[in-house]
Amino acid sequence: MAAREGRGVDLISVGLTIRGLRKRFGSHEALAGVDLDIQPGEFFTLVGPSGCGKTTLLRCVAGFCRPDAGEIVCDGQRLDPLPPHRRNLGMVFQNYALFPHLTVRQNVAYGLDARKAPRQLVAERVEQALAQVHLSHRADNLPGVLSGGEQQRVATARALAIAPRLLLMDEPLSNLDAKLRVEMREEIRRMQRSLGITTLYVTHDQEEALALSDRIAVMNAGRLEQTSNPLQIYRFPATPFVASFIGLTNFLAAEVASTEGGRAHVCLKPASERQAAHGAHSGAPAPHSAGDAVGAQAGVTISAAARDLAPGQVVTVALRPERLHLAAPGTAHTMSGRIETIMFLGATTRLRVQTAFGSITMELHADAAEGLEQGAEVNLAVDAEAATVFVNATG
Amino acid sequence: MPADATLGTFSTERSRARWSLSDPWRGALALCYALLLVLIAYPLLRLLAASLSVEGGRWSLSHFSEFLTQRYYRSALEHSLYVGAMVTLLATLIGVPLAAAVTRWGVPGRTLVRALAVLPLVSPPFIGAYSWILLLGRNGWITNLLNRLYITLHPSSAAAVERGAQTAWLGNIYGSRGIILALTLNLYPFVFLMVSASLSSIDASLEEASANLGATPWRTFRKLTVPLLTPAILGGALLVFLHTVADFGSPMIIGEDYLVLPTLIYSLFINEMGGEPTMAATASVVLLACTTVVLLLERWYISRRSYVMSGLRRAGEREVPRGLRALATVFTYGTVGLSLVPSAVVLVTSFFPSTGPIMRPGFSLGNYATVLRSAPRAMFNSVFLSCVATLVCMALGVIIGYLLVRRRSRWTAGLDALLMVPFAVPGTVLAVAFITAFGVPPLLLTGTVTILVVSYVVRRLPYAVRGAAAVLHHIEPAIEEASVSLGASPWRTFRRVTVPLMTPGIISGGVMTWVQVISEISSTILLYYGAWATMSVVIYQQVISDNFGSAAAASSLLLCAVFMPLLLFNVWQRERAEELI
Repeated sequence: MAAREGRGVDLISVGLTIRGLRKRFGSHEALAGVDLDIQPGEFFTLVGPSGCGKTTLLRCVAGFCRPDAGEIVCDGQRLDPLPPHRRNLGMVFQNYALFPHLTVRQNVAYGLDARKAPRQLVAERVEQALAQVHLSHRADNLPGVLSGGEQQRVATARALAIAPRLLLMDEPLSNLDAKLRVEMREEIRRMQRSLGITTLYVTHDQEEALALSDRIAVMNAGRLEQTSNPLQIYRFPATPFVASFIGLTNFLAAEVASTEGGRAHVCLKPASERQAAHGAHSGAPAPHSAGDAVGAQAGVTISAAARDLAPGQVVTVALRPERLHLAAPGTAHTMSGRIETIMFLGATTRLRVQTAFGSITMELHADAAEGLEQGAEVNLAVDAEAATVFVNATG
Repeated sequence: MPADATLGTFSTERSRARWSLSDPWRGALALCYALLLVLIAYPLLRLLAASLSVEGGRWSLSHFSEFLTQRYYRSALEHSLYVGAMVTLLATLIGVPLAAAVTRWGVPGRTLVRALAVLPLVSPPFIGAYSWILLLGRNGWITNLLNRLYITLHPSSAAAVERGAQTAWLGNIYGSRGIILALTLNLYPFVFLMVSASLSSIDASLEEASANLGATPWRTFRKLTVPLLTPAILGGALLVFLHTVADFGSPMIIGEDYLVLPTLIYSLFINEMGGEPTMAATASVVLLACTTVVLLLERWYISRRSYVMSGLRRAGEREVPRGLRALATVFTYGTVGLSLVPSAVVLVTSFFPSTGPIMRPGFSLGNYATVLRSAPRAMFNSVFLSCVATLVCMALGVIIGYLLVRRRSRWTAGLDALLMVPFAVPGTVLAVAFITAFGVPPLLLTGTVTILVVSYVVRRLPYAVRGAAAVLHHIEPAIEEASVSLGASPWRTFRRVTVPLMTPGIISGGVMTWVQVISEISSTILLYYGAWATMSVVIYQQVISDNFGSAAAASSLLLCAVFMPLLLFNVWQRERAEELI
């Protein structure tokens, strides 16, 4: 770090590698073997429901939590044997953890003072860091008088002032109101880009993850379910869990009709037939007795990219609500149903439609949904290439 | 330093801290254990052993059967329980309505009332007892005034004998009545403070919800408010009871022949006929048993009923009928005023010219001159001992508080339990236990000044630790983690972040320790020796030798030493609060 002190806040981008990380709290397995490669300069987000292990993973990297097994390597150096204060990682805490007895300036200078940096350099760096987050005018205030957004920015400036190898952020925006959260998102992204600092970000907000990240790892029960860029994660979820956690998804039971090349045609099964097929995963909607709404329909077939499927195999189809649209009655391969609820969301309108294949959520442009009423009969068509097929777990 | 140590230091609650050899906190824990075992557990065990052993080195309960069968001993136990029950009952009867009046019925000047109500708590009870003698004693101001109206309080008082009155019309202040009067007015603030804190923590929405669901105000009071207040009322009552049965000063000064356990223990120990240390030990164990049983009962009850309340909206003042409000105001100021009478009487009479027990209205600094001439050493002793005890308490409080909150483990649970013990140990009992344990080698401390400091520290340490722990609970661990993640070592973090953040709690704990220690009498009177008499001992000696003038002057000086730090602390806190805004 001494070598870097002369370089102002210029940072060298380094990568982070995690191998076989395990951590158990009593009977709860928080990390069940995690492998991760974060590229230099990357904005990498861990996303998942509460209790999935994402914060534990971050705290293992920071050094506040000792893994039971595995290694953490940063910049060619093993981090795990180092005490937290020797790791030189900047961390932004969920509740900011600003020192309430120190002014904003003293807060930002804290890490540099701990490194016994020359006074001149400390003053320069602090000015620089505060200017970066537009808080120079607040330098002599105590944290208690700052707004939530300002506190968040002080926390970021404080973490960056030590010229850390990595920036770790633990749900840094979760204490802000919705509008400010979106603004701060952009600010964090801009700053991360301009500094080029490798960032490990933790959030439970999938929208935040999609908006910010270069790459996302979706975590569930101590494992990484899928690691990919936001678009891939959203479009091609690797598991039903990812499909249900990132965005809204309809899960429908189906059977593979035919396969050709990398494609499969799957035939949706009416709810009345699929008692046996149901229960493949928790995200699937509960079966409905659709007899009163619509008669059983045959022959709704969807084409999807899929490998390793054989005709006759029972599968689950995941459909995004915005990939469904209304079609004229009688069109082939459409589902007829009755509108159960209509929810106006501003730009879009969300419909819940009871069909023979189950209750389906769809999202339309508000214009397209105009004039629809609860109880009306509608016909749903699926966009081509919009479905993801998951093989049902057997046994 | 190996990684293990620091990782352990900042592990969260979820990951149990692992101790490592190079961890300084582990050493601190071992030292604290050793200290508390030697200073708390060992003396009490020695005390118990002394009460159980008979000649010939055998164990027997014969001392206890003697205690319970001989009238002289048994009556002290009965007196203690009677006075304890009466004071607890009366303090509750005063404290609860007072809390309701101040928090709910819109009595004007509630901040003032709260501040004034704390004063009796910190003024030493024996000063209260002494000032009631000045007012209602055989030669008291009110006694003499009533005598002129042909109302006799004391048939034996000078005025009554002169008049030839034979029968007392009203009760006699000496004995149980005086003790109950002095202690009730001294201790009711415990109930008042706990109940008003609880009352204002009840979310206003709860009572509104009850009304909204159709409950009448009376039903809401019975079914909601009373159950929610019960833990606070019991908590306050418990403190009153413990302080009453442990109090030595008031019964000694105003009780005369009416012996309670602490005064019995004292007279058994300091007896002209040579003393009976074994029976003193037995009486001490009996007193300790009383306090322990009551404390455990209360813990058991509270553990079954504790409510988590998210007090979002503070319950505000009610619309109350004007008549009730007026009544509440009179009651509030009447009670608070009455409880401040002792301090006022002492302050005023300290300026009266006096000869022995005779004091004449007028103005003179003669009493102060007498005190300054005769007891400069006692003043120094009080200040010096209180300073040392306070500093030791503050330092140990921070260390043990940190261990209990941040380094929680099976081991610290034992430390926590040991620290509960002094809550139940009256000063007199601790003194007897110390003399029993430290009057013989290897730890020969009796007759040294150390034993005084140690006894003060042991008695006040639980409060200091609890104070420090309470502050630490409010400091998020993330703040310390932030410091470490910024590169500060654990030790630097402790010095630069943890301790500064704890400062307000440490200082307020220190002020409370000072206030209690400087007016301590019940263990001091048994443990001091010649040169190390304190102000409270001097006051006691002056009162029993009827030097009321110098007693009043010495009491006034003591009251100043108690109130000044409180006042300064409040000013400091207010300035600090303003700085933060």
